[in-house]
Amino acid sequence: MSDLAALRPERAVGVRETFGIDSDLVVPAFAERDDHVPEVDAAYRFNADVTLAILAGFARDRSVMVQGLHGTGKSTHVEQVAARLNWPCIRVNLDGHISRLDLVGKDAVVLREGRQVTEFQEGIVPWALQRPVALVFDEYDAGRPDVMFVIQRVLERDGRFTLLDQNRVLTPHPWFRLFATANTVGLGNLNGLYHGAQRLNHAQIDRWNIVATLNYLHPQEEAAIVLARVPALADATLAATPGTRLVDAMVAVAGLTRNGFAAGDLSTLMSPRTVISWAENVEIFRDPALAFRLAFANKCDDAERPVVAEYFQRCFDRELDAAGAAH
Amino acid sequence: MTDVQLRTRRRQRLEELGAASIRALSGERDLHFRGHRLHRGREALPWWAPHLHPDADEDDLEAFRGAADGLALRLARSDAALHRRLAPADAVQRAFFDLLEQFRAESLVPEGMPGVRRNLHKRHADWSLAAYHAGYTDSSAGLLVYTVAQVCRARVTGEPVVEETEDLLEATRAALAPALGTALAGLRRERHDQAAYAVHACAIARHVAALLAAEGAASGTPRPADLSERDAARSVFGLIVEDEGDTEGREAVVTGGHARVLEAGATPYRVFTDAYDRLAPATAPARRGELEALRDRLDRLVAAEGVNLPRLVRELQAALAVPRVDGWEGGREEGRIDGRRLAQLVASPAERRLFRAERVEPHADAAVTFLVDCSGSMKAHAETLAVLLDVLARALEQAGAACEVLGFTTGAWSGGRAQRDWLRAGRPPQPGRLNEALHIVFKDAATPWRRARTALAALLKADLFREGIDGEAVDWAAARLGVRDEARKLLLVVSDGAPMDTATALANDPQYLDRHLRDVVARHEVRGAVAIQGVGVGLDLSPWYRRSHVLDLGGAIGHAMFREVLRLIARG
Repeated sequence: MSDLAALRPERAVGVRETFGIDSDLVVPAFAERDDHVPEVDAAYRFNADVTLAILAGFARDRSVMVQGLHGTGKSTHVEQVAARLNWPCIRVNLDGHISRLDLVGKDAVVLREGRQVTEFQEGIVPWALQRPVALVFDEYDAGRPDVMFVIQRVLERDGRFTLLDQNRVLTPHPWFRLFATANTVGLGNLNGLYHGAQRLNHAQIDRWNIVATLNYLHPQEEAAIVLARVPALADATLAATPGTRLVDAMVAVAGLTRNGFAAGDLSTLMSPRTVISWAENVEIFRDPALAFRLAFANKCDDAERPVVAEYFQRCFDRELDAAGAAH
Repeated sequence: MTDVQLRTRRRQRLEELGAASIRALSGERDLHFRGHRLHRGREALPWWAPHLHPDADEDDLEAFRGAADGLALRLARSDAALHRRLAPADAVQRAFFDLLEQFRAESLVPEGMPGVRRNLHKRHADWSLAAYHAGYTDSSAGLLVYTVAQVCRARVTGEPVVEETEDLLEATRAALAPALGTALAGLRRERHDQAAYAVHACAIARHVAALLAAEGAASGTPRPADLSERDAARSVFGLIVEDEGDTEGREAVVTGGHARVLEAGATPYRVFTDAYDRLAPATAPARRGELEALRDRLDRLVAAEGVNLPRLVRELQAALAVPRVDGWEGGREEGRIDGRRLAQLVASPAERRLFRAERVEPHADAAVTFLVDCSGSMKAHAETLAVLLDVLARALEQAGAACEVLGFTTGAWSGGRAQRDWLRAGRPPQPGRLNEALHIVFKDAATPWRRARTALAALLKADLFREGIDGEAVDWAAARLGVRDEARKLLLVVSDGAPMDTATALANDPQYLDRHLRDVVARHEVRGAVAIQGVGVGLDLSPWYRRSHVLDLGGAIGHAMFREVLRLIARG
């Protein structure tokens, strides 16, 4: 086994200092940074509830599922927490074609001393299980429900993992952690937004100890995130009208599209990720309306554009495009 | 398209955009315009303030934006229950109280929405100037109301009064200042606290109402004791707002009144006799040769339109189809091993197309029913409608969706045999529906278009078109859809007016069928199994249908019209 398996968390980190969250919690952290530890994004802003849930997962060995709409930064959240704890972290993107063999391992033909031999190669689950690694299943609800039963045992407390092909029973490493992110709560694609999301087995959902929900943030928090990502946006010459911040208007438009989506007026909505790419486009084009068209309006159906133009007018006090005034 | 139809369509578009903005700004989903009033579900929202009701003929998009923003803020920022509890009992005072609360809501524009603030300001200025130029400030009572509105709004929102009329206000404002000074100061200070604000608003309303009453006593116009809320607002703001009564006459909107019989609650909708009701395939009442001649004519009409059917089919498919796993696709270079091909591998080891994968096919799991109002007035649109439905039925079938074309009319004019029975029975009061209902099946879902061709031609048969009993027909069509297996069920009711049956209207009351249609549509909308949409032929059907669209059958058909129908199908 590699050095990785020998690592132990040796430090304790205060949540208040590291994450800026008002809590006395102290969590274990690793002293040295392994290759598997994600990069720290200094601009990242933590959501208090979700961060505490994830930290509970790291500190107390709970399996944590983060659920929320797309673009809210679920996976990044787990990654950034791991980055600050120097905890090695592996992200696995699930899709409809991941099979049991991919996760557990399979016999493969390898060259050994110039001869072909068949050898068992561990899949990602047994590999991670034996190391102090945070394993993150992204898009958990895109995995086939029957395949996901592979991790059923691991989800249980002190769950050992039996490798049937090898007649071996693996005991999880004491610092192995399991996380998942999903767009839905396992009920399938209810609103037509998440094509490919599967209905999950509820016996399995039940085994996740903590389910945290990360949905859209308070406008001020969102504005702060966008500004942290694209500092050039604070440039006063870009402001929608004198005395206001451009970023507030942008976040307000995003809020309207989310309400519009909930009411069925739009079939897409602006995620924080869309707002950030809009902000980046503003930096390039120096024109919020053009950047908005490129980042979001062109993703909308023709019939929905007048509605989007109305939202834009509300927040920017100008028409989205000249033709928009001619309804 | 006639002028009236154009205006109706324009107004509907403006209202749709307005409603979408209101839903987004207020975060409430169940809001829409019905007969030009904002409704939450089936319930009409209060009238609130005069400037929230722009006129489509004179006002532009900006006015509708301002009104929509005002309505949205009122919904988002004002607690309706608290408002009702705090409102004064007197109708005139309540009208002012309502207006002041509206100003409070409009002063609380969310951060980052300068456009909303400008729309509201613009709407207020336009409304004020319209009132001023119409000469409403010429009377002293009018001037008083106008001044109070201007001064209060300026105080609450912190925006200046409309510049053009500033001098006009001076005298009245000075006279009001001593009595209202404290309350006016309180308005701005307490605008974040609805209950505290209401105290000041009540004080102002009381004072102004007293002044108005003194004014009325002087000019000798007595005020009726029991005014409804809307009438009270009218009697106060009637001075400065155009009465809506005459605009309704000019527009092609049918405003349903209150049905006396049903309102009483005692008698539910009933049918005097269903002995003469018939359900007939469209081919039944016609001579064989006649229908073939009509089909010939319809074919020529369709050919003349030159519709691009494959394109229509493609678009319908895109609107209706959802991907579905449908069997396997063999002969692929990746995927799962196809056992049947292993022998081939042995025979030819270089062969790589050994795999199979699940095939995903678009599948239109939808049933669409067109219910056509075959009342006399629809005769004028029969040709266009027949072409439209014939092409759509064919396209839907090719797109893989089930399609029904149904119609409703009556078996006779003026009650027919049902009315004769009623007369014979000695005219019992409130007999209910009094005619021979005739439901026609032009094409049912099981019949392919090819075999329904002749029946569809009956849409051109002029003597079918008589009177219309909409409510029962919608029920019937929805029930037919309800038993189908498709996941999406869509009912498009094509109509050009209110339900109309002379005998029923005379024997009960004029709104009897109208009311029943509303009830039926509302019941199905609540149940939600079938999505119902009203397709108004040059007429706004929003009083009956929550979702409606105005279609223009007057001009050429063209692809644009198909696209309109397509959009209706897609959103259903």
